[in-house]
Amino acid sequence: MSQEDTNQMLRDAVGGFAARDTSIARVRALRETDPGFDRAVWKKIAEAGWTGILVPEKFGGAGLSLPEMAAVLEEFAKTLSPEPLNAVSSLAALTLSGGDNEALQARLLPQIAAGELVAAVAWQESESGIDPAAIETTAKEAAGGYALSGSKRFAVPFGADAYLVSAKGQGGLIVACVDKSAKGLTVDSELRADGTRVARLKLDNVQVAKADIVASAGAGARALGQAIDQTTILAGAELLGVMSRALEITLDYMRTRVQFDRPIGSFQALQHRAVDLFIQKELSFSVLRDAHIHLAQDADALALWASRVKSRCSEAGMRIGRESIQIHGGIGFTDECDIGLYLKRAMVLSAWLGNGAVHRRRYAALAPALEAA
Amino acid sequence: MQTRDWDQMDDEAFRLEVRKFFQQQFPEHLRYPPHHLSWAQTKDWYKKLYAQGWAAPAWPKEWGGMGLNGSKMLIFIEEQERHGVARTPDMGIILLGPLLIRFGNEEQKKEILPSTLSGDFIWCQGYSEPNAGSDLAGLKTEAVLDGDEYVINGSKIWTSYAMDATHMFILVRTDKAAKKQEGISFLMLRMDTPGITVRPIKNLLGVEVFAQVFLDNVRTPARWLVGKPNQGWTMAKALLGFERISIGSPKLAQAGLEKLEQVARQQGLMKDPAFVDRYNQLRLDVADLGSTYGRFAEIVKRGGTLGPDVSMLKILATETYQRLTELTLEAAGDAGGLAGKVDFNGMPIDILSPFYMARPSTIYGGSNEIQRNILSKNVLNLPG
Repeated sequence: MSQEDTNQMLRDAVGGFAARDTSIARVRALRETDPGFDRAVWKKIAEAGWTGILVPEKFGGAGLSLPEMAAVLEEFAKTLSPEPLNAVSSLAALTLSGGDNEALQARLLPQIAAGELVAAVAWQESESGIDPAAIETTAKEAAGGYALSGSKRFAVPFGADAYLVSAKGQGGLIVACVDKSAKGLTVDSELRADGTRVARLKLDNVQVAKADIVASAGAGARALGQAIDQTTILAGAELLGVMSRALEITLDYMRTRVQFDRPIGSFQALQHRAVDLFIQKELSFSVLRDAHIHLAQDADALALWASRVKSRCSEAGMRIGRESIQIHGGIGFTDECDIGLYLKRAMVLSAWLGNGAVHRRRYAALAPALEAA
Repeated sequence: MQTRDWDQMDDEAFRLEVRKFFQQQFPEHLRYPPHHLSWAQTKDWYKKLYAQGWAAPAWPKEWGGMGLNGSKMLIFIEEQERHGVARTPDMGIILLGPLLIRFGNEEQKKEILPSTLSGDFIWCQGYSEPNAGSDLAGLKTEAVLDGDEYVINGSKIWTSYAMDATHMFILVRTDKAAKKQEGISFLMLRMDTPGITVRPIKNLLGVEVFAQVFLDNVRTPARWLVGKPNQGWTMAKALLGFERISIGSPKLAQAGLEKLEQVARQQGLMKDPAFVDRYNQLRLDVADLGSTYGRFAEIVKRGGTLGPDVSMLKILATETYQRLTELTLEAAGDAGGLAGKVDFNGMPIDILSPFYMARPSTIYGGSNEIQRNILSKNVLNLPG
């Protein structure tokens, strides 16, 4: 089966899920709840196989790659479902499989694929931005393992069963798997714009056994960096899904909303505005498509493409979200109108893993010399 | 003249052969000209292309073209751009030839195509009028059949290469009662016919590359009507396919970015965070334009037809380039007001020409506002 066929099949499957297992009413009902997503729906997502797309076959997954996961996430994001598919099944799964503890992979990855383990990667701190190395949390060697101390922010999702925590060890960055009930760990949440939650962790001398080290000092920085960059590209796919649906809704509104005895979509000022939003969406699609093409040939360019994708998709998603409100007029500013939900999800996805401006700077730093024209 | 089966050739081998020819044969002093060059300036080069059998890359081989497929045609254009190969007065090659090959009769093809290919006939395009710009279908220049001749009265404007042209292909109104798109015919005429006056128009660069053409009882043989009467609009529209992808090529913007960086370095702006952020934004815009161009190029390479969504490519390419030339002007500071090549610490850089050249790019070929109308109606399906 060609990749296009596979992707279409996956997209169709998400379409079925959207019609059957979720709705905007469900999304609204889960806002500001604890933990903010539904484990029963998570189970259905796992049964569909999407939690295991990036998990190697030998660990119970499908062993597929970014383009397939991107296809699923783009469609899934259109539903605004709050289930943390990208954070768990990309970021956590990829961090685990990029690590150097095969016994732990064999234990945890099948659980992630099966939807039994919801794991969150806790790699950021208040001041660290998107540099995984710029952290304060420490890992001190202790009897049979490490003792972790420090604090973490922006870990997705809140309410995870386990946290994959990065820390500075003696020889470099390590990643440790910390159970939610570990002694010395305190978890509370911060509410996001869309009503979902991120976790804030405090680690006070948390003991982690060697067996629970995801990545040792030699492997941690690379495992984490790659997982973050891949997830960043996939967040671009989620943004593409959100902005596509928001634009569809806005175009529908323009075709049906009548003022001055005409549909407002017949006014050129609004038409040209809509065209410019469409072009932003198409640019996002173009760069994501190009990223898949180039990364299939040159995996070393991952960080550069991650920044290109996230920069464009964040800016485009925010712009389409904002201007969709404007085109809707007053109703667009009400909570009862769905368009605001898309803006808020775009805000969350745009800020997550580095916003447009952050990735613009990172792109410039990664690509110092102009490519010869 | 060589006739070769280019289809048999590997794409990369073809690219290298084309590149080598341009590098060895195209005159150094004509590379990357600041504006369109005249026939006098480009004639020798055109004759060289003709001798090589490469004057009409997109025409079929039976008419002396290279018969290139979409993929090789793109390579040919890319290599022209890479080397800065200047355009010749090529309206006959790019626009008229393909139209005649598709819609003309055998006599017309035999009479026109060989002389056009050899450069003996130089064509200009008579479409726009003083009162028919974006509303092209509202054109008023009229042709009335008188025996076996059409008699033409009216005026055409923005006619590129009118001063060099020996011939013109022209859209004229032949039925005033019909709906405006349905009363238009496509004629050809000689530029030395009595009744034609060419008034060159000086543009913002101070050069005369286009003109207004007045037609006062100009007679042209009825056998030079292409297609049936009143079908001119449909035929002209049918040929907008391939040109629209070359207008969307990212090469111009990439060159603009390099120039911006040169100027910015000379001015010490790469240490200014406010400037650098705008520069980086443009750099990403150029990169993402390239990714979008790649999508459409892929369709052409597979032999597919471009849809109306290709209009976005023109918008992106031209507006990105405009913003680059604007920031370059700003980065130049006081030197942004100096005409011609400006000395930047010993490095001569022309700031104003690209800025001027970028202005009409959003006007010609259907203004960007018209492109947005097309996208709104045909892609977004918004009400008219």
